[in-house]
Parts: sequence; C-alpha cells; structure tokens
Amino acid sequence: MKKIEAIIQPFKLDEVKESLKAIGIDGLTVSEVRGHGRQKGHKEVYRGMEYEVDLLPKVKIETVIPDARLEEVTRAIASAARTGKLGDGKIFVYHVEDALRIRNDDSGEAAL
Amino acid sequence: MSGPDLRVRADVGLQVRSEFSRTAQVDTLVLQAARERLVSQIPYQFALLAVGGYGRGELFPHSDVDLLLLVGAEPGASLKEPLSHFLRTLWDAGLKASHSVRTIDECCRIHENNVHLSISLLDARFVAGSRDLFAQLEWRLAEFFRRHSRALLRGLADLTIARHRKFDNTVYHLEPNIKDGPGGIRDIHFVEWAMRLEPGKEPLRQAVAELTTAREFLYRVRYFLHEQTGRDNNLLDFELQDRAAAALPEKALTPEAWMREVYRHLKTCFQAAQQMLEVVSRSETGLARQFRDWRSRVSTSDYTVAQNQIFLRNPAATIASLASTFDLFEYVARHGIRLSWDAQRRVRERACALAETQAALWPAWRALLSEPHATLALREMEDAGILRVALPAWRTVESLVVRDFYHRYTVDEHSLVAISAIDHLLAPNSDAPARFRDLAAEEDQLALLRIALLLHDIGKGTTPGDHVRGSIEECDRFLSQIGAPDTARSAVRFLIEHHLDLSAVMNTRDLSDPATARLLSSQIGTYEDLRRLTLLTYADISAVNPSAMSPWRAEQLWRVHSIAAEQLTRELASDRIHVSPSELRPELARFLEGFPARYARIHSRDRIEEHFRLEQIRQRDGVALDIRSEPGAWVATVLASDHPGLFAALCGALASFGMNIVKAEAASNTSGCALDEFRFTDPSRTLELNPSEIERLRWTIECVAKGTIEPRDLLKRRRAARLHAAAHLPAAIRFDDSASEAATLLHFAASDRPGLLFDLASVLTENGCNIEVVLINTEGHRALDALYVTKNGGKLDSATESILEPLLAAL
Repeated sequence: MKKIEAIIQPFKLDEVKESLKAIGIDGLTVSEVRGHGRQKGHKEVYRGMEYEVDLLPKVKIETVIPDARLEEVTRAIASAARTGKLGDGKIFVYHVEDALRIRNDDSGEAAL
Repeated sequence: MSGPDLRVRADVGLQVRSEFSRTAQVDTLVLQAARERLVSQIPYQFALLAVGGYGRGELFPHSDVDLLLLVGAEPGASLKEPLSHFLRTLWDAGLKASHSVRTIDECCRIHENNVHLSISLLDARFVAGSRDLFAQLEWRLAEFFRRHSRALLRGLADLTIARHRKFDNTVYHLEPNIKDGPGGIRDIHFVEWAMRLEPGKEPLRQAVAELTTAREFLYRVRYFLHEQTGRDNNLLDFELQDRAAAALPEKALTPEAWMREVYRHLKTCFQAAQQMLEVVSRSETGLARQFRDWRSRVSTSDYTVAQNQIFLRNPAATIASLASTFDLFEYVARHGIRLSWDAQRRVRERACALAETQAALWPAWRALLSEPHATLALREMEDAGILRVALPAWRTVESLVVRDFYHRYTVDEHSLVAISAIDHLLAPNSDAPARFRDLAAEEDQLALLRIALLLHDIGKGTTPGDHVRGSIEECDRFLSQIGAPDTARSAVRFLIEHHLDLSAVMNTRDLSDPATARLLSSQIGTYEDLRRLTLLTYADISAVNPSAMSPWRAEQLWRVHSIAAEQLTRELASDRIHVSPSELRPELARFLEGFPARYARIHSRDRIEEHFRLEQIRQRDGVALDIRSEPGAWVATVLASDHPGLFAALCGALASFGMNIVKAEAASNTSGCALDEFRFTDPSRTLELNPSEIERLRWTIECVAKGTIEPRDLLKRRRAARLHAAAHLPAAIRFDDSASEAATLLHFAASDRPGLLFDLASVLTENGCNIEVVLINTEGHRALDALYVTKNGGKLDSATESILEPLLAAL
C-alpha cells in the first residue's frame, strides 16, 4: 500500500476531490496547512502597504491506496491541481506497512 | 451468588421513575454481595454507603455505581482481598462499580482539589454494615457542612462555571449533552446541592419548583440514551434525536419540533443554575462587591443598578410600549448589565401585549445595535420574549436545528454568537486578530453590520433550502416595517445577499489571479461594503464553532479582503461615471459625468440630488457648502471650481478650527466641479457648544475655497498638535504608477494627528502636484490615505517622487 500526501492550492481542493471520486477514491484526510517551497512566499499590498507573506495557506490531502493504483491516483491529483504556475504544490508517496479498520479488524488493503 | 442480572435489557420500559426501580434492584445486589464478601471478612467496623447518583437513587441503565466504604480506622492490608472479591462480584453482575475507602475524619475534611468528594457525601445513603458508624458520620457531616458551606458553595460554583464554559455557556448546541452541558441534569443537581448547603433562599423556590417538569423530561431522555447506545452516553446526537422524537413523546414529533422541547427544558434548568450562581456570587466579599457597588452609580431615574443587575423603578412606564422597552435594552447594551430576574419576569409577562405597540423602531434598533454590549441586550431580549415580538420572524429560527457537520449551534444561537464575535473584536484587550480588530474599529455603521448578522440566516426558518433568498425577503419586510431609511436597507440587503461570497472566493478562487480581484471589486463596489462584508464573514465563520476561525482561515479571509481593497483603490481613478442623457435629466447627467464610479455607489439618489442642488448654488456663487451633524461626527460637503491646492486649502480651514478629519473624499467631474466631502470630529466640542462657530467655519471654508484667505495664516494661531510618542509610527509611502493611465497613485499611511491631512496635501501642492482623487480613512490611530496625483497633466516622474518621499516621510 502507498500513502499519498499532496500539498495543493486551497482553491484546487474541490477539483482534486472530484477527480479522486471519479476514479473511486473516497477516503481521504484534508488539513489546512501553511508553508512554502521554492515559491518562498511573496509580497502583498494592503492599502498601499507592502507586507511579506512567507508562509502561504495550502491544503494537504492524505490518502492510502493499493500499490497498483499509485500512478492513476497521483496523475489524477496532479492534473486536477495544476495551474502551471509557481505554488501548485507537491505530491509525496510513502510506503505503508499495514492498515487496520478499527470497527471490524479488517487489515491490509481490505481496510482501505 | 444468585440475584437479579442487572445488565441492561433492551426492553426496559421508559417509566419516568425507572431510575429509582433500578436503584432498588442494585441495592438488593450490593447488599447481598456485601453480606457475602465483606461482613464476614472485614475484622473491624465499617459501613457501605451509596454516594453520587446511586446515593440519590437516580441510577440510569449505565450509570456508575459509586460506593464509599466507611471505615472506623485506617484500613490495613486485610481489607484488600475481601474488597476485591466484593467489587468483582458486582462487575460480574454487570454493574460499573467504583469505590473509595475513607475514615470519618477524611470525609469531614476540605479537599481543595476535590470538591466533588465532599459534595458526593450530601447524597450518602446507608446500604450495609454498621449503622452506628454511619450515624457518627451523619452527625459529623452536619457540622462539617455547616462550617464549610461557603467554601463548598464557592468550589461548586467554580466547577459549574467551568463546566458551562466548556460548552460555550449556551444550551443551544445542535447535539447537546443533556447531563453535563448547560441546562443539563448536572445543573439540576447543582441547584439542589446549593439549596442544601445554604437553605432558606426564598427567591429561588420558584426556580426550583420549575425544575420538576424539566427534570422528568431530561431524565427520560437520559434513560433513553443509555438504553439506545448501551453505554453511559449523554450526547443527544442527530441519530438519537430522530429516534427519541419518534419514541418519547405521546405522539411522535418531527425531530426539529421535539428538539425545541429539549431546549426549552434545558433553558429552564440553565436559568435556575444561573440564578443560583448569582446567589453564591452575592455572598462574596472584597473586590467583587466593590465592583458591584461601583456599577450601582450608573442607576437612573428609570432603573436601579444593584448587585450588578438592573431593577425597574417604574415597571409600568418602562414596559408600557415596545419603544420604551427598547430604551431598557439599549441601557443593557450600553452598560453590559443584565436584567434582574424580577425585571425579566415583568417584561416577559408583558411581551405579548407589546406586540400591539409596534412602531417605526429603526432609531431604537440602531441605537441598541450601536452599543458595545449589543449581544447581551439581544440575549436578554430573547430570554424576556421581546426579540420575537420586535422581530416576528425570529420565532421561525428560535431553537431551530439545521443539521450540518460543521455548525455547532442552533440557527438563533449561531446568529447571536456571530454578533458577539463583532463585540469581541471591539472589546478592549481583545485577543482577536489585530487586523480584524483594526477593521472593526474603522467601522462607523456597526448597527448595519449587527442587524445584517441578526437577519443573515433567518431564511433558514422561513425558506428552507434557499435561505439567502428568505433572509433577503425578511430583511426587506422587517426594515421596511421599522422604518429604516433606504440607504440602511440597501446596505443590509447587500450584506445578506453576499454573506457567503467571500467564503466561496476563499475556497474556490485563485487569489493570485488578477481576475479574482476584478470579480470581487465588481461584486462589492465600495471599500465600505467590502469592510462590512469582511467583518460579517469573519463573524459568520467564527460562529460556526469555536475553532472554525482558525489562523489559516483568518489568513485566507484577510488575503481576500486585501486583494479586493487593493483593486477597489486602483479603480478609484479609472472607473468613472459615464451617463447617457437619456438615462437621467440632462443637467443631472452633466453633473455626474466624470465623477468616480464610487460616487454613485456610496451615495443614495436623494443625496446625489442634494449635491446637485449645491452645484446650482456653486454655479451662482462660486462655492457651495453644506455642514451637518451626524452620529459621532460632522460632515462638510464642499463644491467648488477645481483648481490646484483646493483640497489642501479645505483641509487647512478645518484644521484651523481644531477639527480632526477622519475621512475625506475628493474628486472632480468632467465639467471641472470639485466635490470634496470631509467627515471630521470636533474634539473640543467647539461647534456643539458654540453654534455661531458653525457659521464662522462655513465662512472660512468659503473664503479658502475662493482663495481670499490663505489657510497657512489661519494655522499660525494654532499650536502644533502633540502626538504621543508611543503612538507615533513612521510614515509609509508608496507610489504606484500602474494603477491609472493618467495619474500616480500615492499610498500614504502614518499615525493620525490633527492637521496631518493638511500637511500632506500642502507638500503635494507646494511641489506642483495636483490631487485628482482622494480617499482618506483612519483605521484605529492610523491614517490610510490613497491619493491620485498628477503633475503637469500626467503621472509623477521619478525625480518628483524622489523629492516628495523624504518630505512625506517627515510628516
């Protein structure tokens, strides 16, 4: 199993959720996060005054999927989250040892 | 051991007193186990007591069975094994037994960190063992409670306050906890314990009597919850609401209707607990009493303030009409003092009759909602039944559950919590985000914002499924009924209509895309509407649940606000009015042609007609002027032929009278008519106390506008305004040449002080610059100025900007 962690622009959340739903991925965790990558924040102007926004609001999506679906899922996330501009985000993939459904003790891919 | 099996049975009947029959069954079991496992095994005197809910005889299907093993002397190791066997027997029979072992001395000692221990002894009941030992305990406890009643009451009150706070001090949770939440069963216990610790509180007898029905109702609900979930669950969640609404009433109700019953009973218990908390608080000494005494100084001929409560001196006059009753609640909103229970009862009894005295109450509503404690007043109005009389549609959202994964409160409570979020932004020493506090401090129409929050979700009661439409319809109906002016109606209507827009933009639009900023500016139109909409959105999100306005969301909302504000400023000069003569009468169309589009957005048609009348005077006399007093400020409107230095001269004239300009706007139309509007405060109350000074100010402004008086000469007589060193922030200057095709946008921010605007305008004029369009605001103690400036008919060149920058920075 693989865990996918995607950091995306907040306004892309609905599109990414829809694209995952379209390929049958229903279970995911969403968190509001702040950070920066190569984008390194930027200057914004409020009523004439410039201020530095170094940690930008982003959304983190986490989902665990069977190994066989890795490419399909990462592609779905990337294509839905892409604008082509700096700050679109990143997708990280981790190996998952096991999973357990607390309700009924299903384990492994059956728990997903 | 043989005996009844007390594992919960699914078919246990919902008899009102079933908790008592269960207690009797548990007694039988405990007694039998005690005889078999304790009496013959413990070599010294002991008594087995039931405490807590078990002691009171109130055992619900999955309640803990709390036992106290009272021993005559310090227990030794010989107790361990028999006690272990005894408890195992009870657990094997399906009881959740918990126990403690104490001597009489330990029971009759104050435990600073465990008030519950002492309180649980109030309900101690003998079950087995030595009756003599129990009698000794009773005798010692009577003295203990007599001597320490005050300390115990204080401790109990502190626990109750902390428990209420944990549930946000409201009964109106969509999924209430009917044991520990405000108004829950624990509040009934609190009142009863307090009455036993300090008997003889006659005024509370009625409140306690009213608890009887609520107790029966809530006990039935708790019993049901235990049965249905098979555990000690007291959370009435949505699924259980469905089941309870079908099973508990004699005739099945809809969940919404049944939940209204739940809230009614919770409210009864919560109010009784609050009354008891006040009784406990009254017995305090020291600083708290001094504060209450100090508050009594705000008493008036109509109201007496005593013990931090309002008492009516002349109830018949105060609650003679809805208008006079509003005066009372405006007093609450101004001072933040609650009604006494007696005053609230009197208002409640008269509430229905007051419905017939509806009138044009807009001024009363506006006054009440402008005060710092508006939410407290609205809550008091709701408790006294006045809110549903003054705003009839309110009853459609009272205690209304609209199921939502994120929302925590009923619709009415959500609206009131949202209004309290505004109060919180404005409160001194508030811990709310500074940016939003500054924004709230800048808002001068708080009543509009608060009334929009009061009405923004009212459509959930009248028009489920399309609540925004329902809320707008109710807004139109209500504001028309109370006689609100058109400007107020359209401002509130706008806020309700767009109250979800900024949230939607936060979540669905790319904030770095210029199209998002343009979309916002086209939807919103003016900075004032943007500010109010931002504050409304902040309050609306904050009222979803206590953690909804996370730093992340606050940051996102602020970004939406700032890109929209920036766009609106950029459009100030470029977005101009172009009117076809066929749309308006030709002379009015000529007057409007070329003014910034903002002009038409912020002024009502009546106000524009007034300006047009002034324009006719200007054409005759060269200058036309209107000075009027508005709540909290004066407003001067000047129409004159546009010429360089005009704005600076007008600022100087006002500064020479000691007036403090808090807002200003200036622009000219295509025909060369400059329209300058100043909102200013009069710190020395010169105009108010000396009406003749108004005429002198008028004359002075006309003279400087015509150029017959030099404002610098006027200012020589005034001392330079002093600025507190701590308040002084360095000026921030930014030139933006991309905002307009024809002018440079100058942003200037600095600590505000009287005369600052005159100095700023003078620097520009003296360096050959012409001020084309101006928008001046103060936000807290900061002046935030946006000026479109030209030189020689075009944008500023870099040399001019280099000269201006140090001069402006020195202001």
